[in-house]
Amino acid sequence: MIQTLTLNDVLQQFVSGTPNIQGAALVSSDGLPLSSILPASMDEERTAAMSAAMLSLGERIGKELSRGVIERIFVEGDKGYSIMVGCGEDIVLLVLADKQAKQGLLFLEIKRITAKLAKMVA
Amino acid sequence: MEAFNIAITGNVGAGKTSFIKTISEIEVVSTEKKASDEVNQLKHNTTVALDFGRLTLNAEQVLYLYGTPGQNRFDFMWEIIIEKAHAYIVLIDAHRPQDFYNGRRIFNFMQSKVNLPMIIGLTHTDCEGAWEADDVALALGLKNRRRRPPIITVNASDSSSVANSLICLLEQLMMANV
Repeated sequence: MIQTLTLNDVLQQFVSGTPNIQGAALVSSDGLPLSSILPASMDEERTAAMSAAMLSLGERIGKELSRGVIERIFVEGDKGYSIMVGCGEDIVLLVLADKQAKQGLLFLEIKRITAKLAKMVA
Repeated sequence: MEAFNIAITGNVGAGKTSFIKTISEIEVVSTEKKASDEVNQLKHNTTVALDFGRLTLNAEQVLYLYGTPGQNRFDFMWEIIIEKAHAYIVLIDAHRPQDFYNGRRIFNFMQSKVNLPMIIGLTHTDCEGAWEADDVALALGLKNRRRRPPIITVNASDSSSVANSLICLLEQLMMANV
């Protein structure tokens, strides 16, 4: 049984404790929300479905265009970044960061939180 | 080469992915993931982004087939796919009347976005409890027999049946373009 409370706690700590991060969501690979800390304007269910759709397409590109195992999907806009990473089997982590975020640091923090979350949902 | 984008939409488990896999001449680009909700009682995997297949009709014409996910939470994908479509098929599984309302929602969603040639494909008509086309039409809110889109039976895993439904859709498309 996955403990929602602790997952939520870890996500909350990640979002409030990491500079320039605006939100995060953990979703199943078929697009259902498990836990999320998102800006109020974003619908959890829709965001979850989008994250799963995007990662699945990215994985498909990795496979068909011989890019190997996909590390992350990185969407860069003029107002910020959204990053989707696989987090253990059948789970996707979405992270939203503002434009001031340092990419190297961002990826490092995401790697760290992903390892932690993957252990919890295993 | 003239290319037509055909959208295949409809309820979860109606047979959209099968439809495309049955007729595509290329290996289908599918995005199936393990279903983690009540859908897994119906099937193991569910489409989360789209399915893509291709069917060459002749030297001048080719069909690109785009399948949508069935769940409402993916309605942003419905929008992306339908906006580029030239015609579409709504698949309804005739033996699951509890899903007709949702089928009607998908149908209404598409109609609110586009005005395109379309047909309704009834799948699973050989299953126990399958409804007749006229009854499904009523359930979908299509009361006027003369003004409703064509409703045809499709076996999504039979290539000649899938081909027939595409021919029917192409006829609609040609009529609309005359």
